[in-house]
Amino acid sequence: MKTQQAMIDQAKSLLKKLLEDGEATAVFGLARGMGGVTAPRIFTMPDELDSLVLEPKWPLAKPAMEILRTAPGGYRLAVVCRGCDERALVELIKRNQVDADALVMVGVACSGEQASICLCDRPYPSKLDIGEAAHGVDPFDDPGVKYLLEGDTHTRMGRWERVLKRCVKCYGCRNSCPICVCDPCKLEGEPWVRRGIIPTEILSFHLIRAFHLADTCVACGACQEACPAGIPLVTLQHAMRRALREGFEYEAGLDVNEKTPVLFDFIQAPEKDRPIPDWINTLRD
Amino acid sequence: MKNITVFLCTCFDEINRVVDYERLCSHLSDDPRVAAVTVSRGLCVSGGAGEIGASVKSGDGRVLIAACSPLARGDQVMRDLERAGVPAFRRHLVDLREGCAWIHGNNPAAATEKALDLLNMGLTALEYKEPSADVTLKIADEVLVIGAGPAGMAAATALARCGVDVRVLERGAQPGGMLGLVSRSYPDNTDPSEKIAAFRDLAASDPRITFHSKVKIISARGYAGNFTVRFTAEGEELQAHAGAVIIATGGRVFPPKGYYRYGEVREVVSQIELEARFRKGPVKKENAVFIQCVGARCEERPYCSTICCPASIKNAMRIMDENENARVWILHRDIMMPGTTLEAYYKKAMERGVRFIRYAESDPPRILGDEAVETVEVRDDITGDRRTIPADLVVLSTPLIAGTDAEAIGDLFGIQRDSYGFFREIYPLHPVETRIDGVYICGSARWPVSSEQAMVQGEAAAMKAAALVGRQTIRASEFSRVPGAKFGHARVNEDTCSGCGNCAAVCSFDAIRLQRRSGEGEFRMVSRVIKVRCKACGNCLSVCPNGSMQMPEMNTKALYGMVGKAFS
Amino acid sequence: MAVEVSNNHKQQKATERTPRILVFACKWCGLIGADGAGRKREPLPPNFRVIPVECVGSVEPDAVIRAFADGMDGVIVMGCHLGGCRFNDANHAAFKRLELLRALLEGVGIGRDRLLVTFGTAHEGHQFTDVLRNFTNLIAKKESLDTSWTSSRARMI
Ligand SMILES: Cc1cc2nc3c(=O)[nH]c(=O)nc-3n(C[C@H](O)[C@H](O)[C@H](O)COP(=O)(O)OP(=O)(O)OC[C@H]3O[C@@H](n4cnc5c(N)ncnc54)[C@H](O)[C@@H]3O)c2cc1C
Ligand code: SF4
Ligand code: SF4
Ligand code: SF4
Ligand code: SF4
Ligand code: SF4
Repeated sequence: MKTQQAMIDQAKSLLKKLLEDGEATAVFGLARGMGGVTAPRIFTMPDELDSLVLEPKWPLAKPAMEILRTAPGGYRLAVVCRGCDERALVELIKRNQVDADALVMVGVACSGEQASICLCDRPYPSKLDIGEAAHGVDPFDDPGVKYLLEGDTHTRMGRWERVLKRCVKCYGCRNSCPICVCDPCKLEGEPWVRRGIIPTEILSFHLIRAFHLADTCVACGACQEACPAGIPLVTLQHAMRRALREGFEYEAGLDVNEKTPVLFDFIQAPEKDRPIPDWINTLRD
Repeated sequence: MKNITVFLCTCFDEINRVVDYERLCSHLSDDPRVAAVTVSRGLCVSGGAGEIGASVKSGDGRVLIAACSPLARGDQVMRDLERAGVPAFRRHLVDLREGCAWIHGNNPAAATEKALDLLNMGLTALEYKEPSADVTLKIADEVLVIGAGPAGMAAATALARCGVDVRVLERGAQPGGMLGLVSRSYPDNTDPSEKIAAFRDLAASDPRITFHSKVKIISARGYAGNFTVRFTAEGEELQAHAGAVIIATGGRVFPPKGYYRYGEVREVVSQIELEARFRKGPVKKENAVFIQCVGARCEERPYCSTICCPASIKNAMRIMDENENARVWILHRDIMMPGTTLEAYYKKAMERGVRFIRYAESDPPRILGDEAVETVEVRDDITGDRRTIPADLVVLSTPLIAGTDAEAIGDLFGIQRDSYGFFREIYPLHPVETRIDGVYICGSARWPVSSEQAMVQGEAAAMKAAALVGRQTIRASEFSRVPGAKFGHARVNEDTCSGCGNCAAVCSFDAIRLQRRSGEGEFRMVSRVIKVRCKACGNCLSVCPNGSMQMPEMNTKALYGMVGKAFS
Repeated sequence: MAVEVSNNHKQQKATERTPRILVFACKWCGLIGADGAGRKREPLPPNFRVIPVECVGSVEPDAVIRAFADGMDGVIVMGCHLGGCRFNDANHAAFKRLELLRALLEGVGIGRDRLLVTFGTAHEGHQFTDVLRNFTNLIAKKESLDTSWTSSRARMI
């Protein structure tokens, strides 16, 4: 396992080279600034990169998208990506929000500790440039996830209700989610949700938000980290991520060319046996 | 707004025997949205649609009809209203007979409650329904036929006879397609070159047919009535503007590489190679063995290609014609000779002494011999005997597979292909139509067929195309997949669309295009609905995250309104 | 027995409660099945409401969520057989989406079985009655969706 410092050094030389060779117009990553405060920064000169750091985890996909939105033509941004950043950017490319040509992704591995904090089953990007891939964590091994997702539905409904009732409708989850880019958002107006009125319409607000991300959520955890009420929002996504994996062998964010089964691959072959999918006619299960 | 007129039909006391109409009436008259309530005994027989139409036509009037189910007379009343000038967004049907009175006859109180809710839902829907504007299109007169095999030739001939201008684009130097490679054509054993020559003469003499050879298609865009296809013909770049397109690009013969030592020992040939030998001259053989289903009805290609059995039987008899002492075996898994003519053809072959041996897929024949084939070993699946047959010719019957550029053509025109790459019809009841109106498929491009069937399909496609280009103009709402006109079109709010492309990906009719947002120079997209193609299925609005896509006639507010009032 | 379809289902005990069921039926199969059931005059529990849709493609998952938020105890989506959709493969797209929604409903404790996704052909009136009766029985055995979940009921539209 490389030390943190070795990883930073490797990143610096790699990114410097990108800037020097003109591969990228700028680098987007974390910098330790004056007073030891770490924050995202756009590096345009190679020697600025001396202040580059890789920790702590800071979701960079959404701000990277915002930067690219207003960037002039020909601008190329190198983004220091953790696994989830890369996957989120892949989803944004698929959804036409980011121009793949204007993006250089530099992949950084997360540490094992970070993976167990995030309950991340893939704590590394598919294109890994810096560091070594740590082992992932199966979120379904986590007692908190089990508490909310496994067992009798009625009991769990009560648990979810208690948890979700804490929501103060601050929109932090929506705002921090890299995939949530709509303007206006359904959660901001009738007939879906009333704006500015609490208590939150729990079912409408939370299920609509969760479902919109059903096949795009990359389990980055940004929503959950942003929630002032400490609601385990990613757990809700895990339910659908599992269904996608088990039913359709699909996982969001792995490959720009991989198509989501929700929008593609419908029955095209009347000549083939068309067994009734076992999830239909659910009365029988 | 007080703009909804309600008509309650009692259906000759069928409904009000269960449902309390007095309660409905008093409830409805109290509703601020209701302008008037009329109870009638039989809306469908009184011919009242015209009057209703007239009464709501002026201003922003809307009409709620409570009567029987759409399937009974409800849809009829709705269509009458359409004709009387009441468009879909101004009318709503509530089914109180099949959907209420007849199934809750044992519980009048609950039935009345339910009827009230259903009416309430209808009123709310009417409150929010909006119109999606229709468009009228001009239709180009010409029909484009791509491919000049039997299917394309038949389509072009039929169109020219109807007086329709037709432009034929053929990839090869000559018309004829696969039939041009065949020595004689089953089941009548005629020389196919006569048919091809007849078409060449017609194309040369009939001013309605324009024939281009050595064609490469560059691009295609447009929709029913207005397709623009750019292509090169003999190196020259040209453009066609057509009202309809018929795709008759045929298939391709599966090469038997890797099967039965093909290419390893001499005199193991494919059926199409045998046809070529026949065209050169007589083929004199003593012992010929045909092997059927080579690379067909197997795991990768589970389909029957339908042309290989008749082709083998045809050529088996041809070998006997050319050497009367020849012995011919056909090793098959099943002989597929459907229809009266082909079955008779099969009988004739048996009478002439062609020997049929059935082998099992699990135990296929083996080709023996060092340089050239000497014997074929086969286990007769019926008797169980293992037999060794002397052979100086083995013919491998392979299926037709999708053409090499089927994928490119499919993508150009937006038509779907089945799992084996053949073009797919929209659904089994519309055999030559595709999901794109104005694009028709025929012949082996959609499924392996004999030249005769290809021609029949070509003519069918021609008639569909003629019916379309025979009109000067057409409204987008007429391209409906259901009886009657479409009830609406999807509509996108360009200001709120994020360009995510969900709608374009999911649309089953390729009716949505993503475009760069104009002017801003930024990397943003916006979606646009091609109304002619949209069939109003609503898939796009179900995947649009922020409701930018709507079906005005049943928009989110109307739908949610109905949900909210379902038990009020 | 007067059937309660009013708002006070919260007070009723699970056993005597009549569940509220919303049916989205496509006009070309589901609704024709409903019509078939009607023509046979099959007595059915009156606690369901049908919303006819042109195609199940237009049943937004958000609308189903809203139905639960509006106090439905169960939702049925009825379309045509796969391969028999008037709108090409639109029904398959809808079914896939709704399957994910069922996973979400299961995750959040509402239970996937409260959303029944089914298909049938036109003229299958018996199937419609069958589905409705069985589904009503299934939902009646469950507890009501507590109204604190349904705070959005009856104010917007
Ligand atoms: C060995 C063999 C023997 C047969 N014997 C008989 C028989 O005896 N009797 C019988 O009825 N049938 C027979 N058939 C079947 C018959 O040949 C085909 O079914 C028939 O030709 C199909 O007609 P088609 O017009 O659909 O396609 P094709 O005949 O394949 O014609 C397609 C045409 O489209 C052209 N084309 C393809 N792509 C493009 C493009 N991108 N742009 C422009 N042009 C394009 C091709 O050049 C071709 O000319 C036989 C088939 C085989 C393989
Ligand atoms: S984990 Fe939360 S923030 Fe991250 S993609 Fe999923 S929903 Fe969005
Ligand atoms: S919650 Fe839904 S509508 Fe809102 S921004 Fe996210 S995806 Fe878009
Ligand atoms: S961040 Fe938390 S509190 Fe804020 S709206 Fe989302 S769930 Fe509610
Ligand atoms: S309503 Fe259906 S056909 Fe029309 S654009 Fe939307 S998905 Fe396509
Ligand atoms: S799904 Fe909605 S937001 Fe996305 S491109 Fe289509 S209309 Fe626009």
